[in-house]
This record gives sequence, structure tokens and C-alpha cells, in this order.
Amino acid sequence: MGSTNDSSAAKKKPSSRKARLSNLAKREERLALRLLLPALLIIALIAFYPLAQVFYTSFTDRVFASGQETNFVGFDNYRRLLSVHVTTLDPVLDEATGEIMIDADSGEKVYERPLDVLPREPRRFREVNQFDLFGNRYVIGATDPSFIQSVSNTVVFTVVSVFLELILGLAIALVVNSKFRFRGSMRAAMLVPWAVITVVSARMWEWMLAPSRVGMFNALFDRLGMIESPIAFLAAGTYQLPAMIAVDVWKTTPFMALLLLAGLQTMPEDIFEAAEIDGAGKIRQFFTITLPLLKPAMAVALIFRTLDALRVFDIFQVMLGQAQYSMASYNYFQLIGNRAMGLASAIGVIIFILIFGFAIAYIKMLGVDRNE
Amino acid sequence: MNKRSSPFNLIKRVAFNFMIIFILVYLLFPFYWAVNSSLKTESQLFMTPATAVPRDPATLEFSPTFQNYSAVLQDGQFLRGLANSTIVATSTTVLALVAGSFAAFALGKLRFRGRKPALYLILAMTMFPQVTVLTGLYAVITALGFPARISLIFSYMIFTLPFTTWVLTAFFKELPDALMESAQVDGATPFQTFKSILLPLTAPALVTTGLLAFIAAWNEYLFALTFTSIDPSARTVPVAIAYFAGAVARQEPFGEIMAAASLVTIPLVVLVLIFQRRIVAGLTAGAVKG
Repeated sequence: MGSTNDSSAAKKKPSSRKARLSNLAKREERLALRLLLPALLIIALIAFYPLAQVFYTSFTDRVFASGQETNFVGFDNYRRLLSVHVTTLDPVLDEATGEIMIDADSGEKVYERPLDVLPREPRRFREVNQFDLFGNRYVIGATDPSFIQSVSNTVVFTVVSVFLELILGLAIALVVNSKFRFRGSMRAAMLVPWAVITVVSARMWEWMLAPSRVGMFNALFDRLGMIESPIAFLAAGTYQLPAMIAVDVWKTTPFMALLLLAGLQTMPEDIFEAAEIDGAGKIRQFFTITLPLLKPAMAVALIFRTLDALRVFDIFQVMLGQAQYSMASYNYFQLIGNRAMGLASAIGVIIFILIFGFAIAYIKMLGVDRNE
Repeated sequence: MNKRSSPFNLIKRVAFNFMIIFILVYLLFPFYWAVNSSLKTESQLFMTPATAVPRDPATLEFSPTFQNYSAVLQDGQFLRGLANSTIVATSTTVLALVAGSFAAFALGKLRFRGRKPALYLILAMTMFPQVTVLTGLYAVITALGFPARISLIFSYMIFTLPFTTWVLTAFFKELPDALMESAQVDGATPFQTFKSILLPLTAPALVTTGLLAFIAAWNEYLFALTFTSIDPSARTVPVAIAYFAGAVARQEPFGEIMAAASLVTIPLVVLVLIFQRRIVAGLTAGAVKG
């Protein structure tokens, strides 16, 4: 709209109008650069070298904290981390009868050993997981099964916890945005989980989830008669990821809620008054006015939550240690435990790319950056 | 007209209050458990089943202990850490808000070439896991020769600056261009428009972003641990807590950690209580017409 006006005006008085416009545009551009300068200087000073170094190191076999010579290895680190191979596992035939062997204990078919069918060249592939599809059994092998497992852990963790945080955060933001007496104290109270030091909060949850009745949850469930014997939340594979998600949702829902609340508070009230006069119900107002107007705040909140969730470190490191990795805690293990700095940098770059993908997907999906 | 007394509204109000209580319990219960644990002695901590208030192991009478708190407060490390954290987190927040809101004004409201690359460049700075950038950052900090606290403030820019910039850009963008144009017609310079129109109108976003950035800086552990290794007097609270946890040779002092955590969280809550008053709802009402 603005551009058609400009062009019709420019036709009438071509030279002076055009000159003034470009002059204005130039001034705007110069102002923009001046305003960006502090941020860009900080990036140049603090971030440029470390980021460039990570990219470079990911193509080498550098060893952390050692004088060992560093060699350029091309994409070797990436190949080692990302090589995945899926193949069928055939059932084992009984040599005597020629029929499919059935395990006497479990009554299930016996399959070949994954190690026998997975490739060994150029590096040995190890089993990550097995699954059944259309009556066949498949095995997923990888040269670095721990990493592939950590990617799947992290992505599941991110998607589930960010989704739950969005729903809960939105609900809390809507409640706090309506007028009631203790609204101010409520806003302070809702920040508490975010305010508890992350490392300490991981310890606190570890204590609450302790595998005996010393832990709050086992004591409570036992009191309610819900369990026969205490649950080992952090040691049993089935509970590990859900426990991490529960802790993260508790801790970071306030972050989401506060950003959405700010979005709700900067909305012009007259739109709602107009909708009220037009007879639009509260629910309709929510879907036709609130949600669309909330999109920009939601997009940044989602981007930064996802970014943090994909880099999740503290809670995995403190509560699960070497039992289950997130991508960042595997990264830490490779760097500090194995001193494989080249490999660790490659993990960093992979996380970087994954985050970039998520960020762009959010921006496109929510259509927040369209007015270019 | 008589809206308040109709039974439907009564049910609605009861449901609303119920929801508030539910939310409060969900958000506060784990913190309550931390406070509860901080008031227990070691033997009370290991009682089965765990008790909702500190109780005497033999008589089951209510008997809290303040020994964890006095141990924490007598530890000079902790109080110094509190001061360091305050200095570092406050400076970080101010710097990130100033640089971030300037950049956000340009990115959200001005037209210029390279807008999008600049936006993504700023985000890219925070997309690596902290562990990965640590060695490179350490080299930069050593080369610059900054003292420990200053290095912390600058290294915290890595995660606070992209955050403030992006959030504020999103909020500035939502303000109608008509506002700026009318201010310009009135003869205001772009910077005056920024200071007296954009900033006040997005006050809720500014305060919220500031609080979230402050807490992120307050809680940071890995950078703080690394960059204060040469200067222990600059240790922030999370590092101080980690150290007094390791200083005791016997079992880890869980009660003391929880006491410290409770002590550290309370000033933050007070801070929010002070600042949230500045977020006056409906600030924008009527400011934007047309």
C-alpha cells in the first residue's frame, strides 16, 4: 500500500520527491547501523572467535588440553557421529527341523544377532534400537550409538516439554492477565521455579525423586496406596525421560508464561472492547483476536525455549550422569571425559544446525517475519 | 445488570480461584520442599517416609533446625557470592537491555539492507552449547585481559543479548508505524520517538525481558566456574554453593545447599515484587487509535 502511494506521488514530482525519499532512506539506514553498532561490537569482541573456532575444530582431531599435534580430518567427525544403517534381522532357523526357532522362555521368535548383520567397515556399527514393521524385524545401527540415542532423547525431550510449556504457560498467562486481587504477588510467585538456581534445582528434584521413601514422590505415592514398592525414577529407563521433562516443564513454564503475559499486556484494549460491542464471545475473542496478536511473542518464546531445550545440560548431567545423555551432556562427556575436542565441536555444530532448523520452522509456521 | 450475584458467575469465580490455587501449588510446591529440607538435620532428611515438615525422628513432633542457615551465613564465600552475583547480573542486564533495545529499534522499526542477516547473526551467537564455546571464549577473555567480573559480564552477553534483542524486536514491530510517523510529523527525531514512545509502550516487555535475563545471568554456572577459577574472590552464588558443597569431606551437605538455594531465591522474588508494579496493565489502552 505504501509503495503505490509513493510511486504515484513520485510520478507527479519525480526529481525532488525521489531525491528526498532516497535521502530519507539513507538517513534511516545510517541510523539503523549506528543503533546496531553496540550489539555488533559485542558480537565481534566476544562471540566471533569462539564460534569460528568451533566450526574449524570440528574438522580436526584436536585433543583437549594437550600438546598433541592437530590434524585436519575433513568430515570424519561428522561421519562418525551421523552414520546410521538400517537393516532387516532374519529369524534364526532351527537346524534340525528347518523351522523358525522360538525362544523357550519368552515364546518369541529368535532373530539374528545385530552385530552379525551390521556393517563393520569403515567402522563397526552398533545397535541403537530394533523395531517391527509389516512382520519384519529391523535393526538400527550406528557408528556412535550413544550420540544417535542422545539426539533422539534430546529431540523427544524438546518437542514434548516445549509443547507442554506452551500450553501451561499460556493458561497461566491468561489467568494472571485477568484482574484479581493478588495479581502482583501471583506474578512474583510464578517466577519462583525459574529463579531457583538450575544446578540446585536439579539436586532438589533428584532428592524428591529418590528411589526410596526418603523421596517426596515415593513417600506420597506410598501414602496414597498407589504403588507396591518405591519407583526408581532416575534409574529405570522408562521413567528417565519423563522425569527430565517434568522437571524442565516445572522450571521453565514461568519463562514462557511471563513472555506471553507481556504479549497480552501490550495488546491494545480497544480491540477487545469493539469485539465485545459486536457481541463476540470470550472464546471467539480468544481465537480471533488474542491468539493472532500473540503470535510474535509466542514465536520468540518458542524459539528461545526450543533453543535452550535442545542444549539441555544441567538436569541430564546432574540427575542422569552417564546413564542417558542429552546432546549437550554427551558433548560434555566427549570433551571432558574423552578429551575429544574435534568430535565435541562437531556435536556443537550439529546442535547449532538443528536449532537453526527449528528457529526457521517457527518463523515460517507462525508467519511472523513476512512483512519484508 | 446484577452480574455478580448470579449463580453462573459464582461458579465461574469459584472455578477461577480453584485454578489459581492449583497453579500456585504446582509452581511453589517443589520450592516449599526445598525450604522444608533446609530446616531439617541430616537424620531428619533421611527419615522414611519423608515428612512434609521437619519432625523429630523419635517423637514426630515439629522441630525445625536453623543450623543449615547459620552454616551458610557464616560461610563468607556465600555472602561475597551474593554481592558478586548482584553486580554481575545487574550489569549484564543493563548492558543487554541497552544494546538490545537499540538493536531492536533498528531491526523492528527501520528499513535497511541486511536487516534479516543481522537478526540471524545475533541469534546465531547463542546457538552453540555453552561447553562447546568455552575453550574459545576462554582464549578471548585471556587475550583481552579483563578482570574476572568484567569477563563474566561480557561472556553473559552470549546468551542475554540475543534474547533481549529478539524479544524487543518482536514487540517493537507490533507497534503501529503510524505512531512513529505522527511523532516525526511533530518534529521528533527518531531517537526521541524511540525514547518517549516505543520504550514506554513496551514497558511490560522491557521489564519482563530484563527480569528473565537477570535471572539467567544470576543462575549461570559453567562460565562462572571457569572464569573465576583464577580469582576466587569473584565467585558468584552458584559457584560458591558448589564449593561449599565440596568443601565438607563427609556426606554432601544437602540441607545447607537447600538453605542457600532458599536464601538466594528470596531476593529475586522481592525484586520481581518491586518491578512488577511498574508493569501497569492497559498502558497501551487508547494510545493507538486508527
